[in-house]
Amino acid sequence: MEYSNVAIIFMVVSVVLAVLALAFAGLYGLNKTVDKRAP
Amino acid sequence: MHLIPQSWAHWHILLSVFPSVGLIFALGFYLTGLIAANDLMERTCLVIFAVLCVLGVPTYLSGDRIMAALSNDARISTDLMAGHFVWGIVALAALTITGVAAVVALWRARGLGRLSQPALRLVLALALVTLALMMAAGEMGWQVNHHELRLDAAAQRTSQAWSHAHMILNHFPTVGFVLALVFYIAGLVRNDVVTQRTCLVVFVLCSILGVPTYVTGAASMWALSDPGLAGISRPVIEAHRDMALLTLFGLAFTGVAAWIELWRFRHLGRFSRPSLYLILAFALITLAVMAETGHRGGQINHPEIRIATDVLPTDPKAGVTRAIALLINHVIWFVPWQTVHFFGFSLIFGTVLVVSLRVLGFWKSVSFAAVHRLLPLGVFGVVINVFSGMLILLADSSRYLNAPTFAPKMGLIVVGAAAVLYFSLSERLWKVRAGENAPAGAKWVAALVLIAWSGVIMGGRLISYI
Repeated sequence: MEYSNVAIIFMVVSVVLAVLALAFAGLYGLNKTVDKRAP
Repeated sequence: MHLIPQSWAHWHILLSVFPSVGLIFALGFYLTGLIAANDLMERTCLVIFAVLCVLGVPTYLSGDRIMAALSNDARISTDLMAGHFVWGIVALAALTITGVAAVVALWRARGLGRLSQPALRLVLALALVTLALMMAAGEMGWQVNHHELRLDAAAQRTSQAWSHAHMILNHFPTVGFVLALVFYIAGLVRNDVVTQRTCLVVFVLCSILGVPTYVTGAASMWALSDPGLAGISRPVIEAHRDMALLTLFGLAFTGVAAWIELWRFRHLGRFSRPSLYLILAFALITLAVMAETGHRGGQINHPEIRIATDVLPTDPKAGVTRAIALLINHVIWFVPWQTVHFFGFSLIFGTVLVVSLRVLGFWKSVSFAAVHRLLPLGVFGVVINVFSGMLILLADSSRYLNAPTFAPKMGLIVVGAAAVLYFSLSERLWKVRAGENAPAGAKWVAALVLIAWSGVIMGGRLISYI
């Protein structure tokens, strides 16, 4: 099956953004738990 | 499936891994208990040694019962079986002595009010001797039924060394989780922080070992099915492979949750009770998935454990993993996940570089605790890459696995990931303040971590070209 360059670029950007958004949201939340409760 | 064994052969396969692989984990906990002078861990280990000793009885009986039946199988080497029997008897005798010594140590503690140090050291020495004998007996045991390990290497497209590694490695996360759960529950009930921390480390180590277990499993599939071997069914392998995928996810959830709690402990000085129970739930679910995975794995090459009511898969086109493999072969799915894989490497190497260079003496104006805050960035990179790497591997697993740099890459991932645990846990490193040098040992670990992750990247890139 042939895919256009636009479709491939769209998929690359979407998947990368989705994965990094999940990772950094997790990282932000994790750091917040330490910042809030640190003595 | 049937979880309760219906034959002596099945009992023997199931039970024999506990006195061997289980003993490795029990010894790990025991050594930690001795170093940390933790009474709960020492006592629990002594009980475990006694339980393993008792398990030696059905292990011997089940092995003895199947010997006669297997002697009639032309594929089974009677010499190997005789060797396994002799080494097994010696190993079980040593295990019995270890178990009795453990019970005596516990019994004497009732009168003394504490465990005797010489008795604890004696049990340690006996357990180490037992482990060496168990390894010899176990290796021969695996060779008995797995005649594919003795095939001519020249006639194989994918080396049977992968199958050999897989049949050893796959027992570590499974048996490790069983042992870790016993200690973890004891640690939760007694609210013992040292035991809880040790168990979280074991969960993380088992999860790290899950990666080479999955990869060696994928390679074993090719070693057993291309060219095909008599009695080996590809649909049965595919069913095992689907469950192995779920196991990989379960191990990732448990391992990451355990590591996060270890990381948070460093900064907060205490564990979060709800998080500990969440990890317990993850570990229990993962163990259940692993049990089914192991059972399906056993069905591949152990016809003697099958029963009449077992319905084995026959459709060569069925399976979730196979469907994912077909999908990821389309450029529109492959390229995005390959790009994600490179982002993952950037996160891992960036974090490793900053943390290792601080340990090696760069940026001494910041404390180690400051760079410790960055570690989750690298761990998220590892998670991203385990997932994306698994997808990429599925696209053309036979070619990747047979590339000369693939096996070293996998080995270095385990070394690099396990060494990062040292950064997360070390007491001495944690106390390194701004302006202070890290201990010499930590510098060696930092250098090892840098070399390991550099090797992983180089090994990965070279796969396509040599």
